[in-house]
Amino acid sequence: MDRRPWPDGLAAALAWGVAMGITAVFGLVLADLLRHGLPEISLGFLLEAPREAGRAGGIGPVIVSTLLILAVCLLTSLPIALATAVLLAEFSHGRSGFARLIRASLDGLAGVPSIVFGLFGNALFSLALGLGFSILSGGLTLACMVLPILIRSAEQALREVPSDYRRAAAALGISQAASLRQVLLPCAAPGLAIGVVLGIGRALAETAALLFTSGYVDRLPGSLLDSGRALSVHIYDLAMNVPGGEARAYATAVVLVVLLLVANALTLGIAELWRLDGGTSR
Amino acid sequence: MPGFRRPSHPVQARTSRPLRPQRKFRPGPWALALVGLLLAGCQSAGGAGGGGAASQRLTVTGSSTVAPLAAEIAKRFETSQPDARVDVQSGGSSKGLADVRRGSADLGMVSRALGPEEDDLQATTIALDGIALIVHSDNPLPALSEDQIRGIFTGAITDWRQVGGPPAPITVINKADGRSTLELFLDHFQLSSADIQADVVIGDNQQGIRSVVGNPAAISYVSIGSALQEAGRGGAIRLLPLGGIAPTLANVANGSFPLSRPLILVRPARGLTPLGQEFLAFAASATNDDLIRRESFVAPPR
Repeated sequence: MDRRPWPDGLAAALAWGVAMGITAVFGLVLADLLRHGLPEISLGFLLEAPREAGRAGGIGPVIVSTLLILAVCLLTSLPIALATAVLLAEFSHGRSGFARLIRASLDGLAGVPSIVFGLFGNALFSLALGLGFSILSGGLTLACMVLPILIRSAEQALREVPSDYRRAAAALGISQAASLRQVLLPCAAPGLAIGVVLGIGRALAETAALLFTSGYVDRLPGSLLDSGRALSVHIYDLAMNVPGGEARAYATAVVLVVLLLVANALTLGIAELWRLDGGTSR
Repeated sequence: MPGFRRPSHPVQARTSRPLRPQRKFRPGPWALALVGLLLAGCQSAGGAGGGGAASQRLTVTGSSTVAPLAAEIAKRFETSQPDARVDVQSGGSSKGLADVRRGSADLGMVSRALGPEEDDLQATTIALDGIALIVHSDNPLPALSEDQIRGIFTGAITDWRQVGGPPAPITVINKADGRSTLELFLDHFQLSSADIQADVVIGDNQQGIRSVVGNPAAISYVSIGSALQEAGRGGAIRLLPLGGIAPTLANVANGSFPLSRPLILVRPARGLTPLGQEFLAFAASATNDDLIRRESFVAPPR
């Protein structure tokens, strides 16, 4: 009979308890949001423009602005992050001074409070580069903010691909670029996806950095150069500045959480596709 | 095959399934298409917005207290002037002042009267807001004198017993630096920010109200409109009279309530575009009295 010693059982119970605790926290937050927010949500709420400072009407333009800001953020940060991570993991000696400098600056950047990114984005993108309060300013500011998360997780994911794969590719005479594209990146895809999920989470939750860059205007944006209010800014305004806006703030938060879950599922799905198909293409 | 694990990485995939149909997934082209779409959006709007339409745009930045009201006024203004666009941005009174001086905004929103050293700007009052001292509704004290309030907020008085209430340590809830409510409060009681001994520091009115509702021994100060609305909804707060004047909207409007502030739009002395002048006149007109009431502010005497 296979009896495990009691410390193992205790450790397992502890691990279970902690895991359940974390799930319970998320569950409680979600339940609270749903309890207050769900009664407010309707098709009209998702499509219409806000009225009465957000107490009436919906959040249609706010959702559109949020998605555009997120798209700008990811489309600019992902290529840069991937390139930097490849440089750090594949083309530089792990402990070279240059790689250390990049890592130190990234870790410093990751610890900067978001309001500082907001003021920086306002000074650089809005004023110096003349983009004003715009979705472009907001998306680029968020891109600066999520770069450290994306790069560090992508680097880690690439490092976790066994070196044998690189040697095997080299032995077969496959160029470094091709082995990167067809072997290393697809293998690292799940790790990359975790970074993207964390990045999306930070970007969607951001308020302070967006208040000063993409702004407060809740009109449907006509272009990326228009100001557009993000969901997080809308929640902040309803909860803090609009008397009687609390119910709508909850409802908007529900939409934000759903959006986040959908974005995460899409990211993980794409990564899975890439992992399975990357190696067989061509 | 239930329970059979799919190959976990492409190198295996290639050897174990050589005849698999080639289903290529390439993220690159998709991303490129998205970039193209976004750029196209940029382009078309840039073309349409160039020239005449650009001069019809007005940017208003500043106080987060004024922003919801100004945004509502702006929407109403836009319906009467279909080719005009008024962008209202939030961020604080000091940002409004800085942006107007710098020229990055046409008008600034400020939630206090301008000081004598700010005579480079001209103000237009669009609404009034009073600040009320609030305590929990279970607190039996009928009123506090100005000296008592000063004592409580500077830490000289730390227990409700010292001002004639039931014994309980006082929780002082103060606003964060940079809030115009804090500036007005300090100015009225002739205190400086460093004098205040706060137990809790908050950002906005709703947060202040929530903190007092949740703590029977707390005292704070918030916008009178927000406080009256919360009390009217049955929230567990009570507004204290100040200097014998009851904290009512009527007393704010007639100017007798001591702790009140104007919500103003500021423009630079160098002048304003015709659209800016039109918007300013519109914002100060009685057309918006319903909007002002809805945001729980008080319409200025006209």
